[in-house]
This record gives sequence, structure tokens and C-alpha cells, in this order.
Amino acid sequence: MFLAIKEIKHEKLRYALITGMIMLVSYLVFILSGLSSGLQTLNSAAIDTWGANAIVLNKDAQLSLPQSVVNTPDVNKATATGGAKLVQFGGLVKDTAGHKESVQVIGIDQKEFIYKGLKIENGTKLTADNQVVVSDNLKVDGFKLGDNIKFANTNITAKIVGFTKNANLNIAPVVYTTIANAQKITQRPGVVNGVVFKDAKPNVSNLHTSKVYAINDFVNALPGNSAQTMTFNFMIGFLMVIILIVITIFLYILTIQKLPNFGVLKAQGVATKYLVKNTLFQSFLIAVIGVGIAVILTTITALILPAQVPIFISASYVAVTAVLIIVMSLLGSLIPIREIVKVDPYTMIGG
Amino acid sequence: MANLELKNVSKVYGSGVSQLTALNKVNFAAHEGETVLIVGPSGSGKTTFLTIAGGLQTPSTGEVLINGSGYSSTNKNEQSALRLNKIGFVLQAYNLVPFLTVAEQFELVDKVKQNNMAAERFEGVLDTLGIKDLLAKYPKELSGGQRQRVAIARALYADPEYILADEPTAALDTNRSLEVMSLFNQLAHKYQKAVIVVTHDQRLEEKADKVYQIIDGQMSLLKDKTE
Ligand SMILES: Nc1ncnc2c1ncn2[C@@H]1O[C@H](COP(=O)(O)OP(=O)(O)OP(=O)(O)O)[C@@H](O)[C@H]1O
Ligand SMILES: [Mg+2]
Repeated sequence: MFLAIKEIKHEKLRYALITGMIMLVSYLVFILSGLSSGLQTLNSAAIDTWGANAIVLNKDAQLSLPQSVVNTPDVNKATATGGAKLVQFGGLVKDTAGHKESVQVIGIDQKEFIYKGLKIENGTKLTADNQVVVSDNLKVDGFKLGDNIKFANTNITAKIVGFTKNANLNIAPVVYTTIANAQKITQRPGVVNGVVFKDAKPNVSNLHTSKVYAINDFVNALPGNSAQTMTFNFMIGFLMVIILIVITIFLYILTIQKLPNFGVLKAQGVATKYLVKNTLFQSFLIAVIGVGIAVILTTITALILPAQVPIFISASYVAVTAVLIIVMSLLGSLIPIREIVKVDPYTMIGG
Repeated sequence: MANLELKNVSKVYGSGVSQLTALNKVNFAAHEGETVLIVGPSGSGKTTFLTIAGGLQTPSTGEVLINGSGYSSTNKNEQSALRLNKIGFVLQAYNLVPFLTVAEQFELVDKVKQNNMAAERFEGVLDTLGIKDLLAKYPKELSGGQRQRVAIARALYADPEYILADEPTAALDTNRSLEVMSLFNQLAHKYQKAVIVVTHDQRLEEKADKVYQIIDGQMSLLKDKTE
């Protein structure tokens, strides 16, 4: 790889530019994918913490939990086979100090698995109707343990007894309360919106007005969820294509400039394979360095960004994307390589 | 015995009205131990001759024999290997890789080929060519003549059986030209190379063992000291 390295050393500026270009685009890809999964997390993190794999909803609710009402016989059947009841609605909470936040209220039953699996970061689990466990995101907004919060448009208050992590739904922090309290706030006694199961194929049959759905179908149907994922995927795909084109153009121009020399080297008996290998090695090297720096920058960014920025960078995703970008750069060297293979030593000699 | 022969070689470029016969039934032979000069006016077919003799182009008719075997019967890789191992080209341009220093031009030869010229002997070549002090320089830092001398050194370093040089003294003054020609003679006589030099530089004629002339693609022997 003698030629490749000597050239990069001699043409530092050119190669620094293209490496920088790859670095920036890779960084953008990593940050976008981090944002994508970060926003996705905000949308559905709470569901992930439950460890649920299936959900029973009203057939006509179009996979929307707040719009679904599961009738009592179906609820009884579902809870008898290990399901956990849910009451969900969006609302506003205020504390006595005047902090205000729009939240998703979720009513859960103390005998069922969501309550049992609830992980408290600090404080305790709720044990009465006038107690709530809330998302730790509310801390940032000034809510504290022991605060009394009031549900908007009601006279109902409850005390924050615990904070829990990753409790987000529909991009809002979650407030967990009892089923009874949730029904009291909505003034719909007895109404259950859905029942979730750990089991992907729960053993419930003969449901009347409801149906079992896979939890992924339910998550994908969360408002804006799939549109958002698609937008990000489109942008990331586009950036991949940009990397491919940028590398192709850059290497192509560099190669065309060297073509007479490559022609003479071929005349002198240097094998085409040797020249091709060097070009491939060059694009591999600049891609690895560019992507490597981007990974480091991404890690630093993830560390210094404030907690409110919804960014979630997964190491495995970054690794896969990095490999993909490197593959793109190798593909980008194919057209320049074709020129090298094609160049006829004689035409370059002239005179 | 190493020799390079062209038998009845013609080269026709183009077709129809634009057809041009650059070489017309050329017969030629160069043997190890001799320097052969090919002179002729511009456009007479000198480069065409040299590239065909060196296997960079195939003749339209006739054949090229290297050490008795036909060049065109071999495949591309074999031709490339043959050029690498047996032929040293000094071409009219682009001989040097722009991003390699003079020393690295020789290092590149080591990367692609074994059995290159021994260090001591190569020192002598560098001395004769007067480029010992240029080893750390890049081609763009050299004068045209210096570049040409480095190109000659690069071709010699691979220690080929044949040296094919296209106008190697074009950018050199008379003294340097004669020195380069002496170096070629030394390589031919002492190391049994066959040196074929294309030139329109008449000053070199008296130094060569054989002189051919090309005019309009017709080749004729002008002088043969070996007879
Ligand atoms: N690839 C080509 N296609 C068509 N015609 C060509 C080609 N190469 C050379 N010729 C023609 O063949 C003739 C001989 O060219 P050649 O390059 O061999 O001349 P030369 O003796 O080397 O000239 P110079 O001294 O100027 O370098 C010229 O008339 C040239 O125009
Ligand atoms: Mg010429």
C-alpha cells in the first residue's frame, strides 16, 4: 500500500478534505439516528419498561389506547390470564408552587404485573388512590418528592411518592396512579382502555368486542410514530447516497489526474491489480478515519448534550452504520477503478 | 542470447480516407551488448516503433520477437510481467510519479519487482547521471533535464535486458547528452544490455553501435559499427 500512503502524505489537504467530508456526513447520520431513536423512546419508552408483548384493545379503536374501551367481560377474561389493566389519558398537572406540565396519566392495578415491575428510582411505590409515581423527567420541570399535584379541571390531588425512569408516552412524561383514581379523574367509572400481556400470544379466546394485538403494531400506530421513523430513515438513506456520490466524485477527479502516470506505470509493467489495490486501500483508509472520528464526536456529543435533548445513541446501530458507510466508500471507488483498469498505457504516452 | 526483432512490421492507424501507415514493413533487430539509435523527423513513426517494440501496441501486420518468442501470443498479464522484468522504458513524459520523491520512485520499483540493481552499481549510475543530490526532491522540484535523468535511472534500476528510450536527451545540454549516451554504451558493453534509443538528436549518432533511420514509416540501416 506504498503508493496509497505516500500519496495521502503528499496530498494532505485533499485527503483531509475528503476525510472531513465523510466525517461530517457520518456524524450527521449518527446524530440523526440518535435523535430518531431518542424521539421514538419519548414516544414509547414507558411501554418498553413494562415488558409487554401483546395488548387487548377494542376492535374499533384502531389501535389507539385512549380511544379504546374494553368491555367488562373481556377485561375479566384478560386479567384472568395474566393481563394488566390500563387506563390512559392525556392531561395537565400543577403543583402548589405553580409548576405545570402536560402529562400522560396511566392507571394501573396494584395486583398486576405493570405495578409489580415498576422500578422506583427514588421514593416508594404508590399504595393509595391519592399517591402517584411520576416520570423522572418531571424533576427537570421542578416537581419534587412529596409535592401535591392537582389534575387540571378537577379537584383531585395526589402526592408524588416516587420517581421512575424512562416513563414516557406520546412524548409526554407519565404519571402512574391507581385504576380507581384514573377513572375518578375521567369520570368514567369502570372503563378500562386496554389490557397488556407479557406473553406475546396470551391464551384469551372468545373476546366479545376486543382483540389481541402485537405490541409492535400498537407502538407503530402511536400518533406520529411511523411518520417520524420514516422521515428519519429517509434522511439517513439519503445521506448514505450522498456519501457514495461524494466519494465517487472525489476519487474520480483524483484518479483522472493520475491517469497518465498510471498509464506509464502500466507501461513499465506495474500490474493493474497493484494500482487497483492501492486505490481501494485509499478509500478504505479515508472512510475508516472519517467514520472513526465521527464515532468519537458522536460519543462526546451524547455525553455533553443536556438531558432534555432526546438523543439515544445505540452502539450496535452506530457499528452497523459505520460498516455501511465504509462499504459505501469502497463502492464509491468502483468507477475510478474502472478508469484505471481501462487506461491504455499507449494512449497516455503520446509524443 | 538476448535479442529483440521486428519482422515485417506495419502499423496502420485509422481507416478509410484518414488511414495512415505509421510503420511500413519494418525489419529490425537489436542484440544484447549494443546500442541502437533510431533517428527520424517528427511524425516519422519513431514513438510508434518504440511502443510496438516494447509491446505497448500490437502491430497491424508482422511480428515482434523477444528472445525468439512472439510477443503478441502472450496474454495481458504475461505482457505486463515481461515489461516489468525485461524492458526498461524511458518515455517522453509522465515517467515519474508526482507524489513520490526521487528515492521513492526507486523504492516503488522494489515494491513491484525483485532483483533490482545492486546498491553499489546503482550508486555509480546516480553519479554518472548527476542526480545523487536530488533523492529527497519531488518531480515538480526538478528541472526538465533532471527529471529525464531520474527517469533514466528509474528504468536502469529495474535492471532490464532491454532499454527503450524515447528522446531521453531532449531536455539535456550537449555534455549531458553525450554522458547519458556513454552510460548507455557502458550498460550495453559491460552489462550486456540492448539499448534502443529513439531521437532526432544527431549529436548522438557517432556514439551508437548501430543507427537506423525512419522516414515516413520506412526504416533503413544507416550505420553499423558492429560489422
Ligand atoms: N494513436 C494514433 N492514431 C492515429 N495516428 C497516430 C497515432 N499515433 C501516431 N499517429 C500518427 O502516426 C505518425 C507517427 O507518429 P509517431 O508518434 O510515431 O511519430 P514520432 O516519430 O514519434 O514523432 P515525434 O518526433 O514528433 O515524437 C504521425 O503521423 C502521427 O500523427
Ligand atoms: Mg515521438
